[in-house]
Amino acid sequence: MLIRKKTIKMTTKKNVKDNIELYIMLAPVLVLIFIFSYIPLFGIVIAFQEYIPGLPFFGEGVNWVGIKHFKAFIDSFYFIRILKNTLVLNLLNLVMGFWVPIFFALLLNEMRTVKLRKFIQTVSYMPYFISAVVVAGMVLSFISDDGIVIKLTSILGFSLRSVNTKAEAFPFIYAITNVWKNFGWSSILYLSTISSIDPTLYEVAEIDGAHRLQKVWYITIPFMVPLIIIQLIFAIGSILHANAEMILLLYNPSIYSSADVIGTYVYREGLLGVRYSYGTAVGLLLSVMSFTLVYTANRTSRKFADFSLW
Amino acid sequence: MSYKTANKNTGYDVIVAVLCLTIAVITIYPMWYVLILSISNPNAVARGEVWILPKGFYFDSYKIIFDDFRMWRGLRNSVFYTVTGTVLMLITSSLAAYPLTRPNLKGRTAVVIFLLIPMYISGGLIPTFLVISKLGLYNTVWALIIPGCYGIWNIILCRTFFMTISQELWESASIDGANNYQIFLQIYIPLSKPVLAVIAIYTVVAIWNSWFASMVYQPNEVLHPVQMYLQRVLISQTLKLDAMKDLPLDQETRKWLLRKALTAKQLKYSIIIFVTLPIIMVYPMFQKHFVKGVMLGSLKG
Repeated sequence: MLIRKKTIKMTTKKNVKDNIELYIMLAPVLVLIFIFSYIPLFGIVIAFQEYIPGLPFFGEGVNWVGIKHFKAFIDSFYFIRILKNTLVLNLLNLVMGFWVPIFFALLLNEMRTVKLRKFIQTVSYMPYFISAVVVAGMVLSFISDDGIVIKLTSILGFSLRSVNTKAEAFPFIYAITNVWKNFGWSSILYLSTISSIDPTLYEVAEIDGAHRLQKVWYITIPFMVPLIIIQLIFAIGSILHANAEMILLLYNPSIYSSADVIGTYVYREGLLGVRYSYGTAVGLLLSVMSFTLVYTANRTSRKFADFSLW
Repeated sequence: MSYKTANKNTGYDVIVAVLCLTIAVITIYPMWYVLILSISNPNAVARGEVWILPKGFYFDSYKIIFDDFRMWRGLRNSVFYTVTGTVLMLITSSLAAYPLTRPNLKGRTAVVIFLLIPMYISGGLIPTFLVISKLGLYNTVWALIIPGCYGIWNIILCRTFFMTISQELWESASIDGANNYQIFLQIYIPLSKPVLAVIAIYTVVAIWNSWFASMVYQPNEVLHPVQMYLQRVLISQTLKLDAMKDLPLDQETRKWLLRKALTAKQLKYSIIIFVTLPIIMVYPMFQKHFVKGVMLGSLKG
């Protein structure tokens, strides 16, 4: 945080009045943050209790049970399944999606017709703003038996049926949906990096007789490498973070075996199943694991790319 | 890029253009497909003849949507949630950001740490749910408005922008006898339209598209935003029809079901278009601000 120390001579009286005004302005937001961000944070303690709805998080009548819920979760087959699903979904997402915005940004940059370039850029951001409900609705309808995906693949000679009840298909559906929705938006950062490259570099390369592809390879890509590394480190760091809202919309009981992730499990088992303490424990365990990963990613990034989130 | 190259690589340009256009088509085709199916003759749709251009015109499914009061109710609720939530977000973001730019604020470091902690750890779904229920917000409109009416990231964004406003301006206003409230309202807010626009647009899109909070906190259908209406029509019903398909049914029932499924499908496509079109239409106008937001966000606070 940048703190500008301006030495303004002020009488103490004015300073006090000033501070009262400033705290009056801050107060409403600080109270809101305390209620809706901090009290739930204290509420995590119910993971170590047998929480009875309606009681306060601390105090009389609280039944502490230690790590009972954590043990129950780790011993259940859900632990491995959820971990496996989250990893598979995110790895597939990474393999299918990580390179797309980079490739797209390079491609757009090579486009010389400015109008067409602007148009394609605008189009590519659009899916990012379409609501998850609409996107999931479209996907489900496309992969239903009379949907366009099934019709197209049958022309190509595949006979797929009831794709949305096949567990092995779900990771692909999820990854493709995510790539379609996010690639354009993710390309913005890469495009801005490219546009910050000094044009004289290209001019010099041209005088040296470089082909356009050579300019991309020897100038543009090396400039993008630091950003690519940072993005990759953070993608790996958030590998335990699946888009549970999208999965909740896309999945159904017959594909839980490949689609169930932490967010969906906590929602189903903890909230709908009214197992508040257990659900909180499950959420907490995975948050801790995920936080450790993000933290490690940040450290790695700081070490190798000289960039960190905090 | 504006640099002109002397050597013309037309073949290269063609490949680039083809690849770019392919990506554009892949991006746009799903939406286009939904649009043409929603307005084509249902029989042509059923026979699988509609691929690139609409066949025949049929607007009955749109008529059904227009007559559905639940959709209008959802839209009305969504407008209410979006407008209230966005106004509150702008107020909280700027109000909290201003004091943090004052050099003589006592305990600023403590306030900043207080703001930063929730950005990295949160109580999670269930503790938050318990707090919101305990406060009596469960199953009210406020469950969607109050807990989401502040954004710590937006406060930081606002503060970063406020820091660029010159100190001399503050000092001269102060010498003229203005207090902090006046300086905030009459100098900082008017000068901060660009950052407020960015926050407003992001908030509008986020609230308009959100559905999960409503699913968790609002069992009462009357309070649902339009995305929940969509969720019910697009997702829950698809599953029900798919489940029925595998039941042992006689030929007649099967046919009836199929017909019903077809109309239902076209209805869904029409609803998608109806709800998404407004966003797509205003979107090019806002695009500039969205991109600016990404840039602001990538700066270190």
